[in-house]
Amino acid sequence: MKGRRYSAARLWNALFNGYGFLFLVFLYLPLGLIVVYSFNANPINMAVWTGFTFDWYATIFVGAGTEGNFDSAFTESPERLYGVVKNSFLVALSAASIATVIGTATAIALSRFNFLGKRFYQALLLLPMLVPDIVLGIALLIFFVGAGIHLGLTTIIIGHVTFLSSYVFVIVSARLAGIDTTLEKASADLGAGPLTTFRRVTLPQIMPGVVGGFLLAFIISLDDVVITYFIAGVGSQTLPLFILAMMRRGLRPQITALAVLILLFSLIVASIGLFLRNRKP
Amino acid sequence: MTTNINKGVSEMTRRHFRIAGAATAFAFFGQMATAEGQLNIYNWGDYINPEVLDAFSEEYGVEVTLDTYSTNEEMLARIQAGATGYDLVLPSVHMHDIMQQLGLLQPAYPNQMPGWENIDPAALRSMEDPDGDYCLPYAWGAVGILYNKTLIPELTSWDQFFAYARENPGKVSMLDDLRETLGVGLIMTGASVNSRDADEIAAAEAYILEQVPNIGAFRYDVIPLVTAGDIAAGHYYVGGVLNVLQSPELLGFVIPEEGATMYQEDLCLLATAPNVENARLFMEFMLRPEIAARNAERLTNGPVNLAANDLLPEELRSNPSINPSPEVRATLQIFEDMGSDLRLYTRAWDRIKTN
Amino acid sequence: MMGGTVRSRRRKALLLLLAPISLILGLFFLIPLGIVVVYSFLEPGLYGGVEWTWYPYNYGRILGWPLNAYEEFDPIYLAIFLNSLKFALLTVLFSLLICYPAAFWVSRMSQRRKSFVMFLITLPFFASLLIRIYAWLLLLRPTGFINTVLETLGVISQPLDMIFSGFAVVLGMVYIFTPFMFLPIYANVEKLDYQLLRASRDLGASPLDTFLRVILPLTAPGIMAGSIIVFIPALGNFIVPSFLGGSKVQMTGNLIERAFLQSRDWPFGAALALLIMASVLLVLMLYIMRSAPAHERGAT
Repeated sequence: MKGRRYSAARLWNALFNGYGFLFLVFLYLPLGLIVVYSFNANPINMAVWTGFTFDWYATIFVGAGTEGNFDSAFTESPERLYGVVKNSFLVALSAASIATVIGTATAIALSRFNFLGKRFYQALLLLPMLVPDIVLGIALLIFFVGAGIHLGLTTIIIGHVTFLSSYVFVIVSARLAGIDTTLEKASADLGAGPLTTFRRVTLPQIMPGVVGGFLLAFIISLDDVVITYFIAGVGSQTLPLFILAMMRRGLRPQITALAVLILLFSLIVASIGLFLRNRKP
Repeated sequence: MTTNINKGVSEMTRRHFRIAGAATAFAFFGQMATAEGQLNIYNWGDYINPEVLDAFSEEYGVEVTLDTYSTNEEMLARIQAGATGYDLVLPSVHMHDIMQQLGLLQPAYPNQMPGWENIDPAALRSMEDPDGDYCLPYAWGAVGILYNKTLIPELTSWDQFFAYARENPGKVSMLDDLRETLGVGLIMTGASVNSRDADEIAAAEAYILEQVPNIGAFRYDVIPLVTAGDIAAGHYYVGGVLNVLQSPELLGFVIPEEGATMYQEDLCLLATAPNVENARLFMEFMLRPEIAARNAERLTNGPVNLAANDLLPEELRSNPSINPSPEVRATLQIFEDMGSDLRLYTRAWDRIKTN
Repeated sequence: MMGGTVRSRRRKALLLLLAPISLILGLFFLIPLGIVVVYSFLEPGLYGGVEWTWYPYNYGRILGWPLNAYEEFDPIYLAIFLNSLKFALLTVLFSLLICYPAAFWVSRMSQRRKSFVMFLITLPFFASLLIRIYAWLLLLRPTGFINTVLETLGVISQPLDMIFSGFAVVLGMVYIFTPFMFLPIYANVEKLDYQLLRASRDLGASPLDTFLRVILPLTAPGIMAGSIIVFIPALGNFIVPSFLGGSKVQMTGNLIERAFLQSRDWPFGAALALLIMASVLLVLMLYIMRSAPAHERGAT
């Protein structure tokens, strides 16, 4: 009996691990291709392999070279690239942070309290996710301009926070729905104020949800194209807008090299995060 | 009592710091005040030689920013909704007319700048601005077919293009542009690309609908696909000649013999431009033959500046697609604004895209 | 007296919690949305924008009503909307099928491995979305990676026709929406009490029974959350259909984009957008109505 259980467990393990492997392959195949093609020496047609080179990475930092393939016809200057990337990260970090705070607060409000208009709020919160990007983008643009708000990075952040809060809300709510409220009630009975209860009992339990919400918000903001397009101002172009403009003539290896670098950077940051997390006693 | 006063003072200081902090944060995030020596250009993607911008920057000490758009309508939508901060835009001729009518432009008087005499008078196509008070003609080009020579050794006409598509479904592409693609339909059914006649448009729509099952995709991003051979021939702008010149055995470009559309962009000064002086300086700069020539080399577009044309390398000057003969030029049609009759096209286009 | 303080503290806490979202959504969402609603009843301006005159014909046009002598009755817009629904549902279905087992795979691991694998899963999504979509183009083209590999291995003799099709569109959308589906489901699955599962097995339930009667209901909130988060942007998406679908696969998002950017018919685009939102809102209202009582009961 035990033997059968044991081999059944092993079978499940093998199945799950096999599936997990395939899942990772699915996620990484396009990525792998991007990495490979960032070394492609062909500047005109990224899809046709002509040779291996690190030069695209070099041009990101050093600027255009002088020989044919790496001249300014096929590369962007480091200043321009840096500016665009900086904008993207600044916006994503700010918007995700603010949205996480707001979204979590709202999730707690709606799941731990009962009040008049609760249903209204529940519907309202889901509304930003219903509106097609393009309509929200144009509506926001008209609104900002009509209210005299100068377009720039701030307007992008505001626009992002508006719809990101809903995403965080949904994720944290799902998490809140699953946890046991008895601990919280016990804490309240023992005399702890709502803030203390939240900090010490609720928050640690929903932390994976909060972190997940933050990550999702960050990613969405980083990649947002349509809404950002309309509410960005002069000189506050983000990376996706930059790439979109370039996609008409075909993507160049230098840009894939840049994408790989950003990925490496994220890898480093995430590794540090992981390392710190595992260090806790 | 003293403690109270001290408390009050430190409260005030704290508040001031907080306000200052907030203000700095806003300033940091928000738009930086337009400095002297700035120029903001809003242009098509890949539609100006970055060396030209660098040269201008160096000579005049002006910092140039370049933002891009992919269609006239996108640019118009943004400008209309009030996006300010740009100085120069490059609308197509019909869009130039629209923008002038809407009061979005201000005259820059390029016709009073040195070098104006080099501008080809035929390039003054704008109906609202026939004398060049507002905008400087920038570049023109035809829209033809870019093809892969290993798959199609020689391509000369739309007929051949569509015949190939019939035999090899999915191996051709057309532009994802309402007027360009319906324009081809209109040309092939013998009408003007600016037709407002419902029957002619219906005929053009029927023609294209017939070809749709064989068309692989409606795309702008054609060059890599044709180069790799995924697509044998793609409806594309003359700017593709740059690639043809780099790989002449692999790629070819042709203006089909039945006729084609052409486009022209004008460099225009926005009414809300914050840096008018620098913008006009830039226009003057672009009028210089050496600069215009350098730009044209990168764009591989048709010449509007005749003196610049003379400075171009032979292979560009004699290229029949960039600089077509008068007979071919006669078959090219440029778009005029349709006004409310654009509706005729949009339904047709929606139907084409749905099938 | 004690009760009063607690209640007012709770009240204050509630107001504090709800203030930020109310401000943000009220100012930067409801008002702009109001503008869109107003626009949908206005006449399109000649060159984009709107004329401030009452114009009720936009909605009729969506249902196919001819606008004037130029057009005939033609329900193509409805057809496109149904097409979008179809693709959005397919996207939800496939991303669910892909992410659900994956969530279990991860939650079964030790804490250390879990963090590492979660990190592996989220990492690809730090690379630019547009570039990853472009990568699928490289993968699916006739001369692309997948076809080349299959041809070299001798599995096929002619390249498979994958790109510029509905298949490519669904694949692309599933790919970009994977984190949207995975994270909610995982957050839910991770909270699963394995004791319940063991109890079910000990009571003699078959694995299938355990799955259907214990696991599925317990993970339902995550599934619903993930499905909604994926369904809605999938419905309005236009980048993937235009890029991987070669613009031959038409979805409502493409229509709206064209209305605003090519046809210069802003009110029509606004009307289309509102119609989408209304239908999705309907679905959501039903969901909220159904799930709310369960919440109040505190049942699992």
